[in-house]
Amino acid sequence: MSLAGPAEAPAPPCLHSQARVMSQDNRRLDYTLAGALAVLLLVPWYRVRGGFFSFDWPGELAGKHDLWPAMAQAVTGRWQIWPVLLLLALAAVQRLVRAPGAARGRALAVIGAAGLGWMMLEGMSIGLRGWNWGLLETLFGAAAGQPAFGAGALSLGLVFTLLIAFGLAERGALKGDAFVLGAISVLVLLVATFVFYPIVSMFTGAFQDFDGSFTTEGVTRNLIDPKIWSLSCLAGGYCGVAWRTFFLAVATATGTTVLGLAFALVATRTGFPFKKSLRLLTVLPIITPPFVVGLALTLMLGRAGVVTQWIETLTGFELGRWLYGLAGIWIAQMLSFTPISFLILIGVVDGISPSMEEASQTLRSDRWRTFRKVSLPLMAPGLANAFLIGFIESMADFGNPLVLGGSGGVLSTEIFFAVVGAQNDPARAAVLASILLIFTLSAFLAQRLWLAGRNFATVGGKGDGGRHALLPARVSGPVTCIVVVWGGFTVAVYALILFGGFVRIWGLDHSLTLEHYQRAFGIAFDGGVRWTGVAWNSFWTTMKIALLAAPLTAAVGLMTAWLIVRQHFPGRAAFEFALMMSFAIPGTVIGISYIMAFNLPPVQMTGSAAILIACFVFRNMPVGVRGGVAAMAQLDGSLDEASLTLGAGSGRTMRRVILPLMRPAILAALVYSFVRAITSISAVIFLVSAKYNMATAYIVGLVENGEYGIAIAYSSVLIVVMISIIGGFQLLVGERQMRRRENGMKEARA
Amino acid sequence: MNKLTIALAGATALVPAGAMAAELNLICSADVVVCEKIVSAFQAGHQDAAVNMVRLSSGEAYAKVRAESRNPQTDLWWAGTGDPHLQAASDRLTEEYKSPMLNQLYPWAVRQAEVSGYRTVGVYSGALGWGYNKDIFAQKGITPPACWKDLLDPALKGEIEIADPNSSGTAYTTLATLVQLMGEDEAFAYLKALNGNIAQYTKSGSAPVKAAARGETGLGIVFQHDAVAQAVAGFPIVVGSPCEGTGYEIGSMSIVAGGPNPDEAKIFYDWVLTPEAQELMPEAGSFQIPSNKNAKVPKEAPDLGSIKLIDYDFATYGSSEKRKALLARWDAEIGGHATE
Amino acid sequence: MSGETRGAVEFRQVRKLFGGFTAIRSLDLVIAPGELVTLLGPSGCGKTTTLRMLAGLESPTSGKILIGGQDVTRLPANRRDVSMVFQSYALFPHMNVAENVAYGLESGGMKRAEARAAAEAGLELVGLGGLGARLPAEISGGQQQRVAVARALVLEPQVLLLDEPLSNLDARLRRRVRTEIRDLQQRLGFTAVYVTHDQEEALAVSDRIVVMREGEIAQVGTPRELYDAPASEFIADFIGEANVVDAEILSVSSGQAQVRLGAMVAELPARGLAAGPARVALRSNALRVGGAGEAGLEGKVATSAFLGDHVEYEIESALGRIFVIDDESDEPLAPGTAVSLALRPRGAALIP
Repeated sequence: MSLAGPAEAPAPPCLHSQARVMSQDNRRLDYTLAGALAVLLLVPWYRVRGGFFSFDWPGELAGKHDLWPAMAQAVTGRWQIWPVLLLLALAAVQRLVRAPGAARGRALAVIGAAGLGWMMLEGMSIGLRGWNWGLLETLFGAAAGQPAFGAGALSLGLVFTLLIAFGLAERGALKGDAFVLGAISVLVLLVATFVFYPIVSMFTGAFQDFDGSFTTEGVTRNLIDPKIWSLSCLAGGYCGVAWRTFFLAVATATGTTVLGLAFALVATRTGFPFKKSLRLLTVLPIITPPFVVGLALTLMLGRAGVVTQWIETLTGFELGRWLYGLAGIWIAQMLSFTPISFLILIGVVDGISPSMEEASQTLRSDRWRTFRKVSLPLMAPGLANAFLIGFIESMADFGNPLVLGGSGGVLSTEIFFAVVGAQNDPARAAVLASILLIFTLSAFLAQRLWLAGRNFATVGGKGDGGRHALLPARVSGPVTCIVVVWGGFTVAVYALILFGGFVRIWGLDHSLTLEHYQRAFGIAFDGGVRWTGVAWNSFWTTMKIALLAAPLTAAVGLMTAWLIVRQHFPGRAAFEFALMMSFAIPGTVIGISYIMAFNLPPVQMTGSAAILIACFVFRNMPVGVRGGVAAMAQLDGSLDEASLTLGAGSGRTMRRVILPLMRPAILAALVYSFVRAITSISAVIFLVSAKYNMATAYIVGLVENGEYGIAIAYSSVLIVVMISIIGGFQLLVGERQMRRRENGMKEARA
Repeated sequence: MNKLTIALAGATALVPAGAMAAELNLICSADVVVCEKIVSAFQAGHQDAAVNMVRLSSGEAYAKVRAESRNPQTDLWWAGTGDPHLQAASDRLTEEYKSPMLNQLYPWAVRQAEVSGYRTVGVYSGALGWGYNKDIFAQKGITPPACWKDLLDPALKGEIEIADPNSSGTAYTTLATLVQLMGEDEAFAYLKALNGNIAQYTKSGSAPVKAAARGETGLGIVFQHDAVAQAVAGFPIVVGSPCEGTGYEIGSMSIVAGGPNPDEAKIFYDWVLTPEAQELMPEAGSFQIPSNKNAKVPKEAPDLGSIKLIDYDFATYGSSEKRKALLARWDAEIGGHATE
Repeated sequence: MSGETRGAVEFRQVRKLFGGFTAIRSLDLVIAPGELVTLLGPSGCGKTTTLRMLAGLESPTSGKILIGGQDVTRLPANRRDVSMVFQSYALFPHMNVAENVAYGLESGGMKRAEARAAAEAGLELVGLGGLGARLPAEISGGQQQRVAVARALVLEPQVLLLDEPLSNLDARLRRRVRTEIRDLQQRLGFTAVYVTHDQEEALAVSDRIVVMREGEIAQVGTPRELYDAPASEFIADFIGEANVVDAEILSVSSGQAQVRLGAMVAELPARGLAAGPARVALRSNALRVGGAGEAGLEGKVATSAFLGDHVEYEIESALGRIFVIDDESDEPLAPGTAVSLALRPRGAALIP
């Protein structure tokens, strides 16, 4: 068959398409290899200290060997780059000598895998000071050290990844779809780098001495530490931090489940007059920076708090400082997490088919018997689910224990102090983090494996008419009472947060003032706007980083969702499971593992904005994935296939069909990741730097310094900002658009 | 470098290289507000040099300097408690430098330099003591303590906070001070007795006095300058200094050996020892005593002359063996569990 | 490649496994250019999988697929010169009708204005000119179906694939649209592969029908052949609901067999069978219902149902219970009435 033709003469379509395929196979390879060559010749291989995008480095090329691109590094004695060049040359030879096809595909995939493998190997083996492991030095003799990978090396990593994908595409994997294969390969690379490599680094870090040599001393010392494992509190002494955290989590999970159930029952099955406003509660945990509740509690119930003082003057009884310790953390966590449990249980309670309850009533059961024998057992799996989520949330909570910790603390704060305090004991941090991880992952696995398929709720069941039975009087009375009391308490706490920012010095001088807002958010106008407030710096950094992270999170999350739902690649189930599992990794563990993984070559990111963004993207991605999967499930799969058979590639299908139809899901993912980037603290506190300080970390600093006024003023501003963002989002997406889309979908399917 | 290197260097040198901006890579181990204040003041006077500042605790800073020792990325390490600076000096991670400013410094700052073979120098110091909430004391009719032993007063039960020496350098300094003052066994006996009065062992060194400032506790054992900061902020805190004598820390500064910009490092080094630079710290809410004799001591700062300082043995009590031993004993006998 | 092979389709020993489940055992099929071939079979027989492999939406586990003489086995869907009409139509709900039709043209790199003009022409072709600005949700189901056809046809594919294109339409519309599709196919002369589980639809539109069963081809032939000469009981039953009864071949001469059916003897094409026991497919219109005592098979009405233009009976006879349609008498006979069944000249066939 002749390849000449398509350009000059209108060729028969089949020849045309065949030639188009071959030329596409070649063209993408050409672009990739040309890009690789440009990178090798022009872009610094190693990390540029001032930041690659500052573009200061071209001016300094002459003097600094470390700034040189790969080609220059290779000819001046960095032998570890030679294999990279060799493999790329081989790829180019494949391109020139062989026609696209299965054989070339295999070769390209092997070259890509070898390239990635070599880069990982040499990157991990040769550190700043030469060989990272003594064994290698004795084997191969001394090696010159190298800085962390920079723009050049990372681009080449991407090139090798793409070579794998293109090779597999030419072999015909996944119907030869290079876009899908490329997306999968890059995603797997990213997830491996930013989720699993840090966790692994954390574990290896536990076994490394100060200078990097292997030791089990730190781990064994910490593993048997009675401060972690002691159970003597059962006999009147003090328990280790692991058990304290565990007991706290069980108590919080129990409490939030009970309260959440009470709220859900009142909201769906009573004549309670403020049912609508109860649902507003579910927004609270999303917009509240995690330590704010603890802070408000100190102002209310601390030794110098309003309520405490009031009770003391009223009764003369000294309440003291009971709030600092597990009791206080427990109350704060109940306040923080009850809305989450409410959100879960409202679905469960609503999802029980009313006909079940109606059937029970026609079978001679009164409301109480119906509730006890039918409704409650049907809710049981949902309750267990809420319990496990409460357990995980409590375990992962960092903000409240930090503010209310008392002497003992919990695992998440102990991890923090093991690293930042005078202890500086990474082994201890790693051991504590592993314990925390084991707790949360067990709960997560229990939730996924044991609870899966046990859900009796019949959500979305059409045709199941009828009304939910009202609660029997003996339940509705106490439950309404609980809801009113707890709801009132929650409102009081939030009112205090908003009010506290206007009080001069809490507990000392209760005169009203705008001073805190001025100090935090002052603006001066002298020949232009000057942001004089102390909060502006971290505020703008937070906004910038959140704005950068949100679209990336949404993109990565939705892309993953699309791959998981629509593409059937081998290992898909495992990939999805691993992603979801990363959601159960507490932020503190993420923070510590990021520090351990990205503080030293080959990938050095600490102190940069990039590490914060990466942390947000991969921490919030599972939520984007979940949202995307749910949205994608509502899209008829034949829409994608129709687009494919109409000649559009996967990329175009994604752009023209999937994305427009998923706009609401995308916006939701954007808003969620934006808000999460603003409110998260547990991972962030490890990763902030002087240059890139985040609002929450700054506020925690204020709290530590006792600057409650500004801390609260700042938090209030954040809450208001987030409420307006979420409100604006609601307006933007709006009911109208949603309905039109749903109609469209229904019609299209009908 | 071989010939090729030189050739390449020559080729790139032909490219008009713009302004070759001077750089200074600084690790700052003080409070972040202070760090930013100092750096921006330095930048205002030295606009040709770009300062890349990283704020790291002194422990982390030591770890970083050590990790990079064969390819140092840092030029200067400013502030942070003296122990790790001395440790770095003894590991030869830092450079010997005799600043022309040395003769303007207090003897304690110069001694820090002499001990280390001029590889580090004192930049500020602060003595250990406490701050108490005068409102609470008046309300409950407690006599303000004057000495360590006064803290055992049963009236103070549940009114004292101190940090956990495992996590706080301040609390470790307290532990070491008491051991040097009383002898090890007596010190632990004292701490055990004191434990009855402790409401909480905090994680952070300065947290106790902040709690006292807000009326959450009566008294916090801290560095005196931390207590001063609270008093200056308007809280009813009175600073106390123990009559038996007390320990102190010397905030230090070192030039990293083999750093990429030794000249800039020395410029900063000399500048930060000037009275003008040292007087910036109180403005940022840090009330340590500056090491330059000509620097105005903040009027709020405790007068070192009126404080009875012990002859703190930094070499012995800064060593990791001693540290481990003391902490292990503290864990076993005191354990960090307050009488909540 | 010559113009004659444009539109030809060939499956060579195609096999498809889903995990451990064999969807297609081994498929060999040749479709001539310009032919409309229907893949017919019960659900789960592999007909949709076959169509999707042709579209490129599934890859065969082994074997080859050729379109227009070219091996496309490893070619992704968007690079094959086929287009498909989906059961759900899969119209993009966020694009209007014209944008939907122009979509494939623009994917192929056509200029926007050109594509819009071609799309308008395509809509004219299916009788929807002027509806281009409407959203899919704003037109009727039948119109949506025609938009889907137009969207596929404007690409002038070698092969048009239709996956149960009528299943979402009501019965009357279905008849009209299938005629339109057949008409369009005859007029434009493209190859079409049509998947359905409705035998009547298959008989109505196809040049040839491929009946599939459990991942294999059960029989290939023109509607006539399948109806008149079913290759198996399955085909006989699936195409036109035949009664399959026991019979005996008495003798065979020059391709014609004397077959005894209960009390009757009929002459049927022998289809290669020799004398001995055999099975015969009796269509529901193969027997005439007469009064008791007339010549033929004796029987008794078991059930009867009046359906307007004809009456359906189940009649108990020596051959078993037989389903018969009577379109001659108006008045249905009551159950229990004795009748006689006479063989008509057509509608019975021996099953090999």
